[in-house]
Amino acid sequence: MNWALNNLELVLQLTLTHLIVSLIPLAIGFVIAVLLARVTSNRFAPAITGSLGTLYAIPSLALFVTLPVILGTNFVGPTNVLIALTIYVVSAMFFSARDAFASLPKPTIEFAQAQGLSAIQRFFYVELPLATPGLIAGARVAAASTISMASIGAVVGVRNLGYLFLDGFQRKIADEVLTGLIAIFVIAIAIDLALWLLGRALTPWHRRVNV
Amino acid sequence: MFDIPDFIGWLLNPENWQGRYGVPNLIQEHFILTLSAIALATLIAMPIGIAIGHFNRGTALVVLLGSASRAIPTMGLLFALVMAFGVQLRELAVVIALVAIAFPPLLAGAYAGISAIEKHIPDSATAQGLTSWQLLRIVEIPLAMPAIIGGFRIAWIQVTSTVVLAPLVGLGGLGFGIIQGLALRNFDQVVASALLIVLVTVLGDQLLGFAQKNQAFRLGHLSGGKSK
Repeated sequence: MNWALNNLELVLQLTLTHLIVSLIPLAIGFVIAVLLARVTSNRFAPAITGSLGTLYAIPSLALFVTLPVILGTNFVGPTNVLIALTIYVVSAMFFSARDAFASLPKPTIEFAQAQGLSAIQRFFYVELPLATPGLIAGARVAAASTISMASIGAVVGVRNLGYLFLDGFQRKIADEVLTGLIAIFVIAIAIDLALWLLGRALTPWHRRVNV
Repeated sequence: MFDIPDFIGWLLNPENWQGRYGVPNLIQEHFILTLSAIALATLIAMPIGIAIGHFNRGTALVVLLGSASRAIPTMGLLFALVMAFGVQLRELAVVIALVAIAFPPLLAGAYAGISAIEKHIPDSATAQGLTSWQLLRIVEIPLAMPAIIGGFRIAWIQVTSTVVLAPLVGLGGLGFGIIQGLALRNFDQVVASALLIVLVTVLGDQLLGFAQKNQAFRLGHLSGGKSK
């Protein structure tokens, strides 16, 4: 792993970009998925499920270069990648978020209502905390695939860890490609661990339950 | 930057439908790579997944593979294998990478389908005198079909989106137009190729989804909605 050590600065810089390009869509996508799952009534669920499922089936590179046509953005650069990854996070998380809210114990919700909590209070003080384990589980799945998918952004000019694949392949430096592979794997595991810890910290009342 | 009719014009131009890098040839390459990888992965993943579900041993393997495979970037796997095999053997390397990508979801689908069957169903089938083999063939696999097809849907999406990257390692397939178009700044070609990819991928996914619904519907209440 001499290559990685000799190019540590580049690797760290690409890792930072990679984290930013993955975490922004993850955060925005999480909020959109939760709101969409909570706000939409059952009547619209099949339509949303269907269209999100279709979006999910679109290969990332194809989505990166289709968005400029729809949004008028530039073909090269991070904007399309950020938007596309957000779309994938929403479509990956919507189902698990729906399940998380649907499986909340009904008596608890009714009790909160009887206590006089408004809908918004109920959402923030009761529903959201109780749904947290399910939401975190969904976020962990979405995070891993987003971090892995973000590397394809390098093809449209986002200088993240995926750049090591393209550059290493072109210059025939196997260690460079390997460095990229390992670095992405490591940050995927690190973010997964961080989300798991976050889930535990947010739900101190069920410490004994393994997520 | 350009008008919408421009990439439609690219699609309508007969020049782009001929030769080595013409649309029909690229579609053919795309399908050969995707389908051969999924077929090979099926041969390996189905027996193992069904066996794990049937005997309920090795569940940890499915879980581990499932989470590890999500963290490994498919693009990196593709590049690393082509480099390891050398450029002469890149076709083989790409197919092996694609098989590795298709394997975890196929395994998980088969395992989940079989293991979600309520225990009294195989028990009563055995009580009716079915042998293990008949039990598997007549009862368990048909009940697991919706989940198995679900595994194929994910494998299809994962593999076909990785095949889009194959031109980066010197192969063809529908991604060629995107990679070449980006390099030459021919954005009509980029968009036209992307649209073809979207069309092919979504169509495949919808067909599999239709087959999945069909199977689930056929099973009716028997599956208990457990295997979606």
